[in-house]
Amino acid sequence: MATDTKIKVVVGKPGLDGHDRGAKVVARALVEAGMEVVYLGLRQTPESIVAAAIEEDADVIGLSVLSGAHMTHFPKVMELMKEKGIGDRLLTGGGIIPTKDQETLTAMGVGKLFGPGDDPSLIVNYIQDWVKEHRREN
Amino acid sequence: MPTLTPTLWDEFTNGDRRACARLITLVENHPDAIPDVHDQLATRLGKAIRIGITGPPGVGKSTLNALLALGLADRGHRVGLIAVDPSSPFTGGAFMGDRVRMDRLVGDDRIFMRSLASREGTGGLSPATPYVADVLEGFGMDRILIETVGVGQAELDVMACADIVVLVLQPSTGDSIQSLKAGIIEAADIIVVNKADIPGVELALQALRFALGLGKGRKDRPVPPLMPTSAQQSEGIDKLLDEIEAQAKRLVDSGRHLEMRRARIAREIRSGIERCLWEKYAARADAESGIAHAAEDLARSGGSPYPFIGDACAKINITLDRKAETNDSQDR
Amino acid sequence: MTPKTAEADRTAPVRDADFTTISGRELKNVYTPDDLAPEDLGENLGLPGDYPYTRGIHPTMYRGKLWTMRQFAGMGTAEQTNQRFKFLLERGQTGLSTAFDNPTLYGWDSDHPLSAGEVGKTGVAVDSLADMERLFDSIPLDKVSTSMTINAPAAWIFTMFLANAENRGVPLEKLRGTIQNDILKEYIAQKEWIFPPEPHIRLICDMFAFCADHVPQWNTISISGYHIREAGATAAQELAFTLMDGFTYVDAAIEAGMNVDDFAPRLSFFFNSHMDFFEEIAKLRAARRIWARHMKEEYGAQNPRSWLCRFHVQTAGCSLTAQQPEVNIVRTAIEALAGVLGGCQSLHTNSMDEALALPSDKAVEIALRTQQVIAFESGVANVADPLGGSYLIERLTRELEEEAESYFAKIREMGGMVKAIERGFPQQEITRSAYEYQCALSEKRKTMVGVNEFVHENEVLEIPILEIGESVERDQIAAVKKLKETRDNVAVKDSLDALEKAARTKENLIPHLLRCSHAYATEGEITETLIKVFGEYREQAFF
Ligand SMILES: Nc1nc2c(ncn2[C@@H]2O[C@H](COP(=O)(O)OP(=O)(O)OP(=O)(O)O)[C@@H](O)[C@H]2O)c(=O)[nH]1
Ligand SMILES: [Mg+2]
Repeated sequence: MATDTKIKVVVGKPGLDGHDRGAKVVARALVEAGMEVVYLGLRQTPESIVAAAIEEDADVIGLSVLSGAHMTHFPKVMELMKEKGIGDRLLTGGGIIPTKDQETLTAMGVGKLFGPGDDPSLIVNYIQDWVKEHRREN
Repeated sequence: MPTLTPTLWDEFTNGDRRACARLITLVENHPDAIPDVHDQLATRLGKAIRIGITGPPGVGKSTLNALLALGLADRGHRVGLIAVDPSSPFTGGAFMGDRVRMDRLVGDDRIFMRSLASREGTGGLSPATPYVADVLEGFGMDRILIETVGVGQAELDVMACADIVVLVLQPSTGDSIQSLKAGIIEAADIIVVNKADIPGVELALQALRFALGLGKGRKDRPVPPLMPTSAQQSEGIDKLLDEIEAQAKRLVDSGRHLEMRRARIAREIRSGIERCLWEKYAARADAESGIAHAAEDLARSGGSPYPFIGDACAKINITLDRKAETNDSQDR
Repeated sequence: MTPKTAEADRTAPVRDADFTTISGRELKNVYTPDDLAPEDLGENLGLPGDYPYTRGIHPTMYRGKLWTMRQFAGMGTAEQTNQRFKFLLERGQTGLSTAFDNPTLYGWDSDHPLSAGEVGKTGVAVDSLADMERLFDSIPLDKVSTSMTINAPAAWIFTMFLANAENRGVPLEKLRGTIQNDILKEYIAQKEWIFPPEPHIRLICDMFAFCADHVPQWNTISISGYHIREAGATAAQELAFTLMDGFTYVDAAIEAGMNVDDFAPRLSFFFNSHMDFFEEIAKLRAARRIWARHMKEEYGAQNPRSWLCRFHVQTAGCSLTAQQPEVNIVRTAIEALAGVLGGCQSLHTNSMDEALALPSDKAVEIALRTQQVIAFESGVANVADPLGGSYLIERLTRELEEEAESYFAKIREMGGMVKAIERGFPQQEITRSAYEYQCALSEKRKTMVGVNEFVHENEVLEIPILEIGESVERDQIAAVKKLKETRDNVAVKDSLDALEKAARTKENLIPHLLRCSHAYATEGEITETLIKVFGEYREQAFF
């Protein structure tokens, strides 16, 4: 159902690191795969990310965190998503995330996180599959 | 099929931003739902002023829009903001970067911002744009800013759904005013020369004054004022807001706002009827294949399509009056 | 072998592979004298230590003095980093290099709301002179040269360093080291800025002038291509944008009334050494030649030291893989060798675990040992510019020089680097290159061992991972709060007021920043004071 409706993804970088190479490459790959990508840019707060995702009615929030602060940013965004009633959307992203941290985050409801060297097509497929399985209309 | 559920409507009328966002998605993704949504929204529409912000890529529309939204909110308005970005004709995807320049709006309850991909819309305006504007108005926004990238047809399209059209240019476009698409200057109600902080503003203003002097296409409307701004340094914004508000007031006082609304409703009715007629015909089992066969025959034999059109209309109980048909299409 | 057979050999079928460099440069099967122009072995080359310094800045190169082995270090609190410094010095490192955490790099204190989760994570947290004291505790500042990787707030982190030296009785003339202080590449690549370009460039010129008078052995800037490359640039783009940034600073300082020979000798550079061995060597050689020519011919510098492009090299972080991290030791060794054959003055070798976390003690030690093997076992340090005269190397060097020159022309046409940055030119070039390289990896035209080929399935990580405890942030926040209560707040306010007033004039700000630092004003307080005058820069996202 509804695989023909566009997938909308909000992409941003929370916190303070300015390394946006990954976020840009992935954003471009998502667009090439036919998705609609709203790019938020650098230095986003959890509040600004979630507020934007709400207004955009995004299916997916994708965050890139390369500053080592992933255990701060991902949980905060997830918590806020639940609080604001968009806990049913996918929170995914990338960074340098040790397996142990990934497990903790998964338990909180965060989706799969990708690392350096992961081909962007893995992220594209993951998002497409997730949306296929989870999207409920309005 | 996704529809407008009573819960969603309740949440929407209670001011739930999430519900507003979902209603926008509904009209954007499911044209079939538009009639239902419209039935509900109808009583809430008619007051908002829709302001189209258009111009070439990179002239500072988003940066300016963010300031306009804040300024309008400070003047007591509730502001809806729609930024339309082009979809790739090859992949169908879209990259929407306007929010980067609008991050100070986030979290401001007086403002609701939404990015739209143009999708199959001609020239950069999403076909859903007017409906999205309706949803925002229904949500209580009385000023709606619509940003479109000024490529091709978009400036002219934006006229169809905006009450006031602001054309944004920048100094370096000054010497190439001539190359602006014909009709754009005439379409504008206000011409902004943004980036007035960089050299060349005077030159651009001069060139524009000259171009406007030549303009003969503006029968019914005053010559648009030329307004320099610097969105980066927040200069000229108040004046621009004053001008927008003055024009808004004039539109309402003169009854022209109502008239434009009337024209929009008429257009909507007309396209609704067209759609219904088409759907009725398309519902016939042989509709598509019939057209395909006829086209193939006609292409080969060089015949006229009109007898086929006459037959087709007869099949849905319409007698084709050729004269009316041509008049109608000119009118559109 | 007769020429005829050789010809047949060269038309024989070759592997179905991509023979371009990592930057996409076409390469031939073999290079011969025909690939060189007469000047390539003549005026383009010269001898090591001779203009245009293609072959190195010293006649004896590493026979005279080995490169400085300088490992970038910093994590957690000042104490933790101080211990890492001592660990490295004990193991034979010859200079220090400080990595600061993100809040520090942005000019914010540890208790700023946006600092949450970032304190001490990717470097050491420094909020005030108090942290600087602990960071360099019992390290002989007049003996060990110290590098500090910081840009937007470089001036006031530097004055904290100076204040500490003054308090310890070390004369400023004796201080040796480098501060990165290169804001242009921040707008281009790393995105750690505070103000718009103009005030930042003014501060940089203030540093040039102050150091010329008071800290003469200090490298006042390290004009950096490293981050440009990490953001996805090609070798030629790294070379061109970095040197163009350099020319922009020279222009600014001359504009500010300085004589080129008063500040140019203290300019230094910082390049990446990526995986494509020969192209990287050629890039480093081209950098020296281009810089020398422009400084001499275009800017008319008289002092030969003004012509020298002296540089630090770091191996490419973006070439490291999280998969089979031990393999990164090999990558780093190859890259480091390129840096040495390219004639670097100092070198950082990445640790194998850097695609996973901050480096552990073990990983750092291996990285340092890699340099020592190159320096003391491989024999490459015995001869100056051993690759000079190679058909391939000289040809690549010229190609890179030409490409850089054509970028210079384009950027000048746009009105200079600041204008080009404002319209997103270098940013877009880099983003495009990054995407093209990613496509080459996805399509397997380019190989990363263990990533898109030769993948080790179900790998289990076998190296230790360094973790930064959450207590660092709590402690640091508590410390900065306590400092604000216990210091002389009148002195702080006076110094900040004086700074603000001076910022509104054309006065050199460094003495004022030094006074603020002595008063224990925090980094964030200084930043906020200057923002009042200079404004804040907002992100310009370009694609
Ligand atoms: N110098 C100057 N630059 C400005 C001004 N306004 C915007 N800019 C810059 O112009 C660039 C484009 O600004 P945007 O607001 O994204 O322009 P836009 O017209 O919305 O761009 P598109 O949506 O891509 O068509 C950015 O780098 C802005 O910072 C201004 O008043 N002066
Ligand atoms: Mg825009």
